[in-house]
Amino acid sequence: MGEVQLLHNYLVVGALLFGIGLVGLLARRNMIVMFLCAEMMLQGVSLSLVAWGRYHNNFDGQVLVIVILTVAACEAATALALVLMLYHHTDRLDIADWQSLREANQPAFIDEELPADIHPKPEWPELTPAGREAPLSPEKQDELRHRLHV
Amino acid sequence: MIDGGAGMIVAQWPLALATLLFAAGLWLLLPRGGRSGRQAGTGLVAAGLALLTLLVHFGLTFYRNGPSPQWKFAGPLLGSWAEDVVFLALAALTVGSAVCTVTFRSPVYCAIWFALTLLGVGGLFMYQGSQFLGVATVVVYAGAILVTFLFVLMLAQPEGHAFYDRVSWEAALSAFAGAVMVGVLTMALSQAMQPSQVAEGQPTPRFWLETDQPVDRAAGVLNPEHVASLGGRLFSTHLIAIEVAGTLLLVALVGAVAIVSSTRRLDHPARSVGGRAHG
Repeated sequence: MGEVQLLHNYLVVGALLFGIGLVGLLARRNMIVMFLCAEMMLQGVSLSLVAWGRYHNNFDGQVLVIVILTVAACEAATALALVLMLYHHTDRLDIADWQSLREANQPAFIDEELPADIHPKPEWPELTPAGREAPLSPEKQDELRHRLHV
Repeated sequence: MIDGGAGMIVAQWPLALATLLFAAGLWLLLPRGGRSGRQAGTGLVAAGLALLTLLVHFGLTFYRNGPSPQWKFAGPLLGSWAEDVVFLALAALTVGSAVCTVTFRSPVYCAIWFALTLLGVGGLFMYQGSQFLGVATVVVYAGAILVTFLFVLMLAQPEGHAFYDRVSWEAALSAFAGAVMVGVLTMALSQAMQPSQVAEGQPTPRFWLETDQPVDRAAGVLNPEHVASLGGRLFSTHLIAIEVAGTLLLVALVGAVAIVSSTRRLDHPARSVGGRAHG
């Protein structure tokens, strides 16, 4: 097996993963998809590290990939906690909501036209209630209200 | 690899063409509002990847040796045809599902495609002989990290497709940036892999580790006792790195708990305006 060719192929696949992740990180607006793309860039680097380790015939590349795995797990934990906090502030995962963190003297980004949803929300039919509604006892009302909030 | 003499100039434009085709397809595939270019984008991405495979894996080379341009086809280079087929299938799985991860509208689908990318990367690790990393990638990434992502997605996803999943920031510029990145990397690689134009009779300094004696990988990375050798290396030479990684995990745990448990709420403008972002 041609070891040099193997190294070349793996480095190209790693570069492709890194580039695709870069495009996604730059282009997508959903914060979770951005983090997925960052993880994909890490995967590209891991691939090339393992390939170099095999080419040089030692385990250092694999050890470095283990460290990358650890760092990725830490990054996912803190990043998802942050994303949850940001989501609780705006009820959306849109990174454009946080553009007030941009540099000074930069114009604000405003969506010019919002594209129409390809899958619009379905309108479900409503049944008209029939008969007479029986009066509820106060305890029953309390229980129903409690259930609604649970 | 070509055994070229002095004066052979290898053309780099096919690599640039492949990456540009790939990036144009990626631009068409990225969510850009209502406009769709799915089929054209898929075709362009497939064409770019096929050209890249021909150039890198099958060693197709265009070169100029003297006045007239020539081309040469080296054939599959990894070894037997089975090794080539397995590698190509794994690489196609990885890169194809990576493209799907970036371009799908629904973030849940993105996460599922990313799981498939991780499986492909795990397979590629196995192909290199690093079995522990292949298993660890699947277990840690696909099993833990990705499920956490999906968990948050299910918590936070609004009904239907949100508008910010159907538009991209500057899709064309982003795809071009990725093309420049991949193009520069692959061109530098292919130049490093080509024979250099040194005078005849000299040792070729074109590549980093071109030793005369064969390397015995069966005693090194391809050791049958793979996990034992990796663990021995891990806990002797790289002991401090392991300790630091463990400390980092603890710090990240404490940090995540601290972030989530802080109950202070900001009044963000986007919430009161009712859905539209204004800086």
